[in-house]
Amino acid sequence: MLRLYAESSKCSGCRACLVACSLNLFKENNPKKAALVIHAEFPTPGVFKVSVCTQCGECAAVCPTGAIKKNAKGAYYVDYAECNLCEACVPVCPENVMFVRTGLADTAWKCDLCGDCIAVCGTDVLSIGEIQATA
Amino acid sequence: MTARIHALGILKAYLGGKSETVVDAGNTVRETLRALNIPSEVVALVVVNEVPQSKEYCVQDGDVIKLLAVVGGGDE
Amino acid sequence: MNGYGGQILRVNLSTGKISKEPTPPELARDFLGGRGFGAYFLYREVPKGADPLGPENKLIISSGPLSGLMIPGAGKCDFACKSPLTGGYAGASLGGMFTAEIKYAGLDSIILEGISPKLVYLFIDDDKIELRDAASLWGKGTFAVEKELKEQLGEEFQIACIGPGGENGVAYAHINHDYGRQAGRGGVGTVMGAKKLKAIAIRGTKPIPVADLNAYRQAGMALYDACKKSELLKPWINLGTTMVTSWCDEVGALPTRNFSAGSFEGGKTLYGPYMRQKIVITDKGCFGCPSPCGKYSRMKRYGTNVEGPEYETIGMIGSNLGIPEIEDVAQINLLCDDWGIDTISAGGTIAWAMECYERGIFTKQDTDGLDLRFGNVEAVLELVPRIARREGVGALLAQGVRRAAKQVGRGSEKFAIEVKGMEQSAYATHSATAMLLAYMTADVGAHHNRAWAITYDLQVGRELVNADKVARVIWLQHIRPMFDTLGACRLQWVELNIDLELYPPALEAITGIKRTWKDLELISERIWNLTRMYWVREQPGFGRAWDMPPPRFYTDPPKTGATAGKITSLDDVNKLLDLYYEQRGWDSNGLPKPETLERLGLTQLVAQ
Repeated sequence: MLRLYAESSKCSGCRACLVACSLNLFKENNPKKAALVIHAEFPTPGVFKVSVCTQCGECAAVCPTGAIKKNAKGAYYVDYAECNLCEACVPVCPENVMFVRTGLADTAWKCDLCGDCIAVCGTDVLSIGEIQATA
Repeated sequence: MTARIHALGILKAYLGGKSETVVDAGNTVRETLRALNIPSEVVALVVVNEVPQSKEYCVQDGDVIKLLAVVGGGDE
Repeated sequence: MNGYGGQILRVNLSTGKISKEPTPPELARDFLGGRGFGAYFLYREVPKGADPLGPENKLIISSGPLSGLMIPGAGKCDFACKSPLTGGYAGASLGGMFTAEIKYAGLDSIILEGISPKLVYLFIDDDKIELRDAASLWGKGTFAVEKELKEQLGEEFQIACIGPGGENGVAYAHINHDYGRQAGRGGVGTVMGAKKLKAIAIRGTKPIPVADLNAYRQAGMALYDACKKSELLKPWINLGTTMVTSWCDEVGALPTRNFSAGSFEGGKTLYGPYMRQKIVITDKGCFGCPSPCGKYSRMKRYGTNVEGPEYETIGMIGSNLGIPEIEDVAQINLLCDDWGIDTISAGGTIAWAMECYERGIFTKQDTDGLDLRFGNVEAVLELVPRIARREGVGALLAQGVRRAAKQVGRGSEKFAIEVKGMEQSAYATHSATAMLLAYMTADVGAHHNRAWAITYDLQVGRELVNADKVARVIWLQHIRPMFDTLGACRLQWVELNIDLELYPPALEAITGIKRTWKDLELISERIWNLTRMYWVREQPGFGRAWDMPPPRFYTDPPKTGATAGKITSLDDVNKLLDLYYEQRGWDSNGLPKPETLERLGLTQLVAQ
């Protein structure tokens, strides 16, 4: 099974990934509707930390309507038509990359492993690889 | 004891259109440029094994050296 | 309107009135955005003879049609106003995240008018727009202000703010954003301070509309692909603008001790690789940028951080002040950023003061007891806050080098390295005729980023004076500022050498309007002539004399370094100008001819 990986130490905070992501998920130029997060820690220590979906499946496990499904890549995604905005998925996400913002969209959203973020990242932060078994 | 030189951009013209050539190790980059008839002033940056170096760097056996020409700009 | 935020925001700080009007399609068609919008609104709306620090001046902040989109480096914002430093046109470019947020808030330009009776900051959260009390922020450094506002309002807000330099009217005060990006030159921060506006906090959550979604995504991806495939990507990310420091030193373009030479014997501890190894901790980029040039640094000796130094600051605060150690330059950079003054103009003005001191034009009495010898780091660390507070000798230097030299007299004017009242930036032009011409004719004064021609000089022959060189300068003056007009960075083209022809398909897919580079160059030429006419209108007797370089560059050959003994002749200076005016369609005094203005569709606009 595959997931997205982020090597935060290489991140320059540019947010190209966020725009590519929102275009994929919503066909919109709106980085606030992206499914990964860049935390900017400035002025000190002066680094960026990137949070990405690890495809752990906790969101799907709690979704009462079965709106979180697996796509052709084997990645969990939100079927917008079936999301009822109950927000059960948001607090269970260990990476805080499950999103509900009703001012922006009338559905939850998450990473669907499209890979567009990788295509626009110039510093090789992001990659797709096998999920590593954790100890 | 040799090293490889990659000439990027307009520097290819100084190598007769080739983008690569082999040079002796043991000389400085500056001396090597002179031997290749590449004016030092047109070389903005020297990258040796992916690490930028000055033109005083002494070329080692097996080095891969990229020569970057001055390009159209460089701001601030 | 596809590619645009859609509205122009007007904030009348005198009355508190906030209003919006739709962005006129003809404005977008003829001036495109960014720098174009700034020049247009400045010429049209700021009345002739306005006091730059008075209520009639406006600060016009403009995003561009590429900003905030999936385009490499889509993070550039233009700041335009009448310059308190030069009395002419000021157009400064800010990187970072600010411009994108303007588009997401549904805006293209923010026009700041009047003067607020109270100390305020402008709050924009989509359609909720207010002037808020800034009394508790006034007096604080830019880093503290940004941190405070982000903590209070949320990380999604983008902050642009001035420091005490802007509050106190330093003529070259700048505007800071994102902990290390600036709208630097011409006193744009001074105007913001004169309006009693401490900061702008903006957040937008609206999508930006585009004409053809699929074509745009394809064209954007093609641009990113080209960047990532460039052989120059990794070396550029490694060093950013510091890539040129060693090269400039080698060819005699590194300003040394107030431009008295072009090579610095202490230069090695300023070079890029040394800097990277000694202080750099993070590569930091602007919106959408795959080739981050920002170098965020940790200065262990001082226990501080700064984004930088950029090449310009290394040249102007390092070699130009005779300071050899990059960590010291970084610390002075930090002070300038926090206190809110432009590092380039500060470096040029302090260098002048140092030369005056070493020549005995100044004594310690004139310098508040500071030992202003070249290389004295401690003195500069003392001096920057004094300039920002306009105290003692700081008050003299806060005026910029032209006014300071005029005030002091005693032959000090010879050492003021400026054009049109703006201090020359970090390329020594004793023997580099295209770059010399670039500085002479840049639209804001002696700034390098319109026509960066120094490498062209070294490629074709630094002393050459011919029509081709002049044509090159003019071409660069059209192509490079076009990126500032589009609201995106030009360095992917300039530094990574990606194909310029990748941009028109993206612009067309976004705006729905097909434009070639010829079309874009015409718009740039229009903007260039409009800002020229602004100088003509605002500076009585404006003409050829205003394009002349500092006398140092035709009378004073360096004694050391790569350009030792070399200088450009006054004859060649005049020849360059003659060729330039001819190619531009200007008369021999440098005024645009009526037929040139007509061809560019400017006749009516400049008749006002």
